[in-house]
Amino acid sequence: MATAELLSQPLDDLKTFEVRALTKVFQTDEGAVTAVENVNFTIEGDTFFTMLGPSGCGKTTTLRMIAGLETVTSGSILADGKDFRRMNAFQRNIGMVFQSYALFPHMTVFENAAYGLRLRGAEQSVVTAQVQKVLKLLHLDGLAHRHPSDLSGGQQQRVSIARALVYEPGMLLLDEPLANLDAKLRVEMRDEIRRLQKTLGVKALYVTHDQEEAMAISDMIAVFSKGQLMQVGAPFDIYANPASLFVADFIGKANFFPSHLSNIAADAAQVRTRSGATLDGVALKSAAANEADWFTKAEDGLLMVRPEKMWIAAQKPAQSDIALSGTAVRIQFLGTFVRYLVETDQSEASVIIDVPAFADGVVEGSPVHFGFARTDATAFKAYAQ
Amino acid sequence: MTATVETTPNRFAPRRKRGPDFLPYVAGGLTLFVLVAFLAYPILTTMANSFAPAGEALNWANATLDNFKRFWTSALYQRALINTLVIGVAVTVLATLVALPAAYFVARVDMRFKPLILSLSIIPLISPPFIGAYAWVILFGRSGILTHYANAWFGLQMPPIYGHFGVILALVLSNFTYVFLFVQGALSAVDPHLEESARVMGASRARILRTIVLPLALPPMLAGAMIILIEALGEFGVPAILGGEMYVLSTLMYFQIHGYFNLNAAAAIALVNVAITLIAIVLLVRFNKKRKFVTVGSTTRRAARHTGLGIKIVANVYVWGLLFLAILPQIVILFTSFAERWPGTLWPLQYGWGNYQYVFSRMVEPMQNSLILATIATVSCVLFGTLTGYVAERKKFAGKWALDLTIMLPFILPGIVTGVALLVTFNSGPVVLTGTALILVIGYFVRRIAYIYRSVVAAVAQVDPKMEEASTVAGATWGMTMRKVTIPLIAPGILAGAIIVFTTLISEMSTTVMLYSARWKTVSIAIYERLESQEIQAAAAIGSVAILVTLVLVFSATKIIGKSMSDLFS
Repeated sequence: MATAELLSQPLDDLKTFEVRALTKVFQTDEGAVTAVENVNFTIEGDTFFTMLGPSGCGKTTTLRMIAGLETVTSGSILADGKDFRRMNAFQRNIGMVFQSYALFPHMTVFENAAYGLRLRGAEQSVVTAQVQKVLKLLHLDGLAHRHPSDLSGGQQQRVSIARALVYEPGMLLLDEPLANLDAKLRVEMRDEIRRLQKTLGVKALYVTHDQEEAMAISDMIAVFSKGQLMQVGAPFDIYANPASLFVADFIGKANFFPSHLSNIAADAAQVRTRSGATLDGVALKSAAANEADWFTKAEDGLLMVRPEKMWIAAQKPAQSDIALSGTAVRIQFLGTFVRYLVETDQSEASVIIDVPAFADGVVEGSPVHFGFARTDATAFKAYAQ
Repeated sequence: MTATVETTPNRFAPRRKRGPDFLPYVAGGLTLFVLVAFLAYPILTTMANSFAPAGEALNWANATLDNFKRFWTSALYQRALINTLVIGVAVTVLATLVALPAAYFVARVDMRFKPLILSLSIIPLISPPFIGAYAWVILFGRSGILTHYANAWFGLQMPPIYGHFGVILALVLSNFTYVFLFVQGALSAVDPHLEESARVMGASRARILRTIVLPLALPPMLAGAMIILIEALGEFGVPAILGGEMYVLSTLMYFQIHGYFNLNAAAAIALVNVAITLIAIVLLVRFNKKRKFVTVGSTTRRAARHTGLGIKIVANVYVWGLLFLAILPQIVILFTSFAERWPGTLWPLQYGWGNYQYVFSRMVEPMQNSLILATIATVSCVLFGTLTGYVAERKKFAGKWALDLTIMLPFILPGIVTGVALLVTFNSGPVVLTGTALILVIGYFVRRIAYIYRSVVAAVAQVDPKMEEASTVAGATWGMTMRKVTIPLIAPGILAGAIIVFTTLISEMSTTVMLYSARWKTVSIAIYERLESQEIQAAAAIGSVAILVTLVLVFSATKIIGKSMSDLFS
């Protein structure tokens, strides 16, 4: 009885939101499928927190477990240390925005926005004032009496955000909210969502598969792969210091060169590429446990370099840490930089090289030399127990 | 944007406590109980009792095949079985053949009044068929109007209307609409690009018809034919009125119960009838499964239409002629209802409102009964059909196929079999319901819940589940989400289903005839009794009232949900 009494009190200002060892196993006709495995993270204050990963990586399932729309197989969800799952919807006090907007087509914009307040039994005067305030905040003032079918996609998305914010939730959940908008509107809306979130001081838990969007909008990013949380960090952090091959590959672009490692120390190693070129004292990291299939048998390491850290030239330069050779197969002018795709036996895939200007004397089909500085490369070794 | 919102977190949360959400379990449990008690249990009991000796319930000791033996020994039984098969096949084939040209003409020939044609075509479907059947006696009977003129003017001898000829004629004309509507809809919706690409490749018009149009029309044609076959195999009213000396399985069941009250024999006949129906369905479904294709319409353009004068004349004559024949029974009944004196003469001697005055002063009770029973049954169908339809569409659970089968079974069972099943189950044993209004309501409920169930399944599939989730996250209980989001969105579908259910129930015949009692006679029983006692004009007056009420209801349904009348049946 004591706990019940305690839980019937509304939740005060949500300070720390934690997910501990969260696991979800779906029972399907083909047997058990683990969609989310042992996920842990913490969201403090008004952090804009994004779960990022390719489709089927478990990010949406995690969000739906937090929203109470999916049962939890094991693990816990804690709001300031209290069990989130044992609270009722009013105590949890979350707002949620869906990719498909999920607006109620039989209600006006006003009634859509007022829905959560009406459920909470708010008086009409409070409802009117609060809904008008939120609609104004989302630039929807004049549209209160329209129906969702009369609105554009962007306006519909604003209404669904208004509906989620109207009862001043402690946390806002957003499930790929921009996926249905066109490219230009997507950029506008993501800035606006972040502005609103900071203005209102509400926690945001955002799900997307678009890494550029995640980088632009987030304070913290959690990268998911195959149901596992691979890395959590600030956008720059996970780009500059990826903790696994998947993160290196998924966040931004990356070139991988199969290499032989020797003189292995705790955080550095000597690297020899397929061509026999060697580099001393390259920063060394361990790949994640489920990444064994990235490594071929012949080589026991992978050298990772970002495209913008590479150089390309028709002639081999006099001085360079390392110079490899291949054939330029495609040259793309992308406005602020030029992208070269180079085929070489040094790498399994085409090497991507981004440089600020065209390289002299390089045309599609011509043999080229390319390389990078030792300090811009990171070596990965296979995971060992 | 400088506006700031000062936040006091969760200041809108209500202070009152909230108990656990039991409603979904209560609703689900109740629905399960109703389905098991009134659907699964009677069907299983009937199957069991068909193996018990007359007058007994099945137990471990008395199992017997005696009730089925008559199918080998009695000529009456054998003829009834053969008649049922012959009529079923003949009606299905003829109705399909009659309907196909009409469907092609309406879909592909530039005809006027197309919406009117479609609306008129469903009148035979929604009017009580047995009263229409009697119209053929008035026209083609021994002293019928057309029999007289055919003989007087052309010296033609009409075949006797009682027997195979009359039953098949009446059933073909009241059922061809299924194939007509289905095929017409499919032919109108076929992506014109299919035929255009064939033409570009050099195919002739006849070749396109043979290789593209007809194969595409085949699945809807078979679907319509299946419904016609089910109806023809289970029909009671028409063979009861036009069969004369000829018995079919449904009239034989009636005979066994009203003549001898032999429930076990009736149960055995019911089982045979169901077996035939199921075999026919399995064959048709299997045949149809091989040819399942989806044509993805990539354009809103309509298919090209014939505009030649010759084909326009042929099309109009055929379609309007067929419609006239199909609606003729209703016209004849309406005409007869105004005949005040018709003492065996060729034409009535006096016309007036007398029959209606008689009906509204002396036969109010059957009308009241029909309205009361149909209303209660419709409300129950809406309630439980909505719940089960919602659950079946939204939830994943083991044994879903069992739920689907339980609900859809009475849909394919002949109505008289459902009547027999309920009679066998609730005539003795722990719960006795025979003679009550409740057993009629249960019978109606069981037979019609599938209509609501199916329209709810279709309507719920259109509602994005994320809408319900949005409501849940905002703090709504299951009941609140249903009330404020789901129900308002599926209401038009439910309403359309409810009106169809109600209209088919006020003149329901084949289940009623097994379950009614002296206190609870319905409109259809009143009409049947008047026909038996040769009070044709009174029967025609009630029949006309029933037809009119039905038409008004269906018409208002189309207005409410903004669909055309023919869409309600597709």
